[in-house]
Amino acid sequence: MSFALTSFKKDIARWRQDYMATLIWLAIPLLTGGLITTLMSSDVKPHGTLLLVDEDQTFLSELIVGAYSAGELGELISVEKTDFDEGFERVNDGGASGLLVIPEGFAQALLESEPVTLTLRTNPSQTILPGIITNVTEILLDAGFYAHQLFGDEIETFTSMTDDPSDAQVAAIAVAIQNKMESVAPKFFPPVIEIEIIEPPPQEPRPPLALLFMPGIILMAVVFSANGLAGDFWREREQGTLRRLVFTPARMGEFLVGKALAAAVIIGFVGGTTLVLGFLYHGISFAKLPSSLVWIALSGIALFAWFGALQMMFSNQKTASIFSMMLVFPLLMAGGSFFPLAVLPGWIAAIGRIAPNGFMAHNLTLEVTAADPWSISLLSWLTLIVAAAIGLSICAWRLRAGFART
Amino acid sequence: MLTVNELSKNYGDFVAVDRISFSADKGSVFGLLGPNGAGKSTAINCIAGLLKPTSGHAAVAGHDVVSDGKAARRNLGVVPQELALYEDLPAIENLRYWGKAYGLGGQALEDRVTEVLEYIGLNDRAKDMPKEFSGGMKRRLNFGCGIVHRPPLILLDEPTVGVDPQSRARLFDMVEAERDAGVCIVYTTHYMEEAERLCDSLAIIDHGKLIAQGSVDELRAKLGARDVLQLSGHFPVEPTKQAISALIERGNADLEFLAQEEDSITLTLSNASQHLPAIFEAVAGTGGSVSETSLRSPNLETLFLLLTGTELRE
Repeated sequence: MSFALTSFKKDIARWRQDYMATLIWLAIPLLTGGLITTLMSSDVKPHGTLLLVDEDQTFLSELIVGAYSAGELGELISVEKTDFDEGFERVNDGGASGLLVIPEGFAQALLESEPVTLTLRTNPSQTILPGIITNVTEILLDAGFYAHQLFGDEIETFTSMTDDPSDAQVAAIAVAIQNKMESVAPKFFPPVIEIEIIEPPPQEPRPPLALLFMPGIILMAVVFSANGLAGDFWREREQGTLRRLVFTPARMGEFLVGKALAAAVIIGFVGGTTLVLGFLYHGISFAKLPSSLVWIALSGIALFAWFGALQMMFSNQKTASIFSMMLVFPLLMAGGSFFPLAVLPGWIAAIGRIAPNGFMAHNLTLEVTAADPWSISLLSWLTLIVAAAIGLSICAWRLRAGFART
Repeated sequence: MLTVNELSKNYGDFVAVDRISFSADKGSVFGLLGPNGAGKSTAINCIAGLLKPTSGHAAVAGHDVVSDGKAARRNLGVVPQELALYEDLPAIENLRYWGKAYGLGGQALEDRVTEVLEYIGLNDRAKDMPKEFSGGMKRRLNFGCGIVHRPPLILLDEPTVGVDPQSRARLFDMVEAERDAGVCIVYTTHYMEEAERLCDSLAIIDHGKLIAQGSVDELRAKLGARDVLQLSGHFPVEPTKQAISALIERGNADLEFLAQEEDSITLTLSNASQHLPAIFEAVAGTGGSVSETSLRSPNLETLFLLLTGTELRE
């Protein structure tokens, strides 16, 4: 097997010269994976600014200002007080989500049930935040209406006081409010509608979506590199080195074994780099790295062998290359590189797992999401080894049957 | 060192090589000559084990190329017509790789690689990639890869095609040096001057058949001292034939008609220059005319013309 080692070293040395190909094989899946992971794991919430012109400057107008900044609404909207001219200019320039004008006399009008107009100007270039501001404003006005209906007398008493209220006055108002609350409580608590809450059956916690994307993306790197490396059979033929090899006493089988081992190392490097980045990003235990890496390298050999066998069936390099590239994208699509099989409908996922790279990605998913390393079944390992062996046997047959001689 | 016996190679009904036999000895250059498509490369590929002969045998250092192919290939160095190099592997790594393919290893390989680099004049470019080399340098490296394992028999298949004169001269020197070192070289070419310079013995092949074989001197003797005279112009076929036959009958016994077409005739005869007036007169008598005359001294090229009636480079 000494010539297998020679063949292996030769291909590794040649690959080191062609580092651009390796970068491309790495860059495409990393870019795709980076984008998908960023989108899937993003917790960035929209945030807008509401400009508020408070011309009333009363307790009630302050209540409205406070309502926009309270609770979860405050995480979405920042309220900024301003004067009308500046606010008008800023919202027209798109510098804020909305401009709310509380006119002078607003509180008085509300208490006396007189008509009053609040002006809300929203930013037409935004959709979600101005909508939220509009809805919140409508809710606040409705709340004000109902509060007035219920507690109009108490509010009027409170606001008509010229001096600070005494403890007795505050207590009297509080008691009055309490009495009214008790009288209306049966209408609200409990609600008239009975709600039956059905607990869903307990489900096993599913791994995060971004993690489910990871195996498919790693397999994308493996498929690209295996297909690229399989093209080397044609490159060797075109440069006459395969033919020259036939003149020597070296065995074609050893040559092929060396080539497959070199492919395993190169694919292991490309897939391993994406794997390590995925492990780091998702915080996966590095105890699973050796098993995952061996799975990837073996998958790489199998794909390299089958792509090689396929490419050697064609009569010229160009046709072989075009056909092979045409096959790559449907394979990636079916095998879950663009959509994880775990989130696809059952029947589509079942088809995907039959695809070679789908089978590989599915088992890699099992490995990285399992509790312990080496979780891939023995049957899956055997299937992969047999697939690689059959692919390499076809390559050897094709090389001996004439591909290397012409 | 090389014995070829009744070797044939057929592709369906097409006979590419037709029962050729020859042998080549140590310390000699054996030339296999013929025009493009004559069957030279097919014969070489059968000897090298690339093609399986349809019938017949070839043996390298006593090992049959089919039944004992591995041993035969161990004794054989092939320098293919097309370059066969890893363009993205340094020159020294190319030599190491092909040395290992022939079973060399360790210090012996390193010593031999250094020696070959010196020999082919690339020791100062050993770590450079062949893709950066000129055509001539690539040819030399191609040659080096074929001899790195010190084969007792080297097959050189048209090694000078597309090579500049300087590299060609260097290649000739290398071939001669190998021969002087006791190596047997089989050299295929369609350049007669190369064969005349390098080869100790020759076989001329055309349409897959050997049509002449022997040393350069023996083959020259077949021509005798006759020149080859080629006339271009207009020559009515039958009258010209009759006029030339009449010349032969009038005492020009060694005059021979090699080829005739409407616009050219090719003749061979001794002291052709002295007979030119008589020949021109005979042609004029038929109503023909001569626009161009070419007179060549006897050489392998004219021998090929004599044997086949066609130019070697056609």
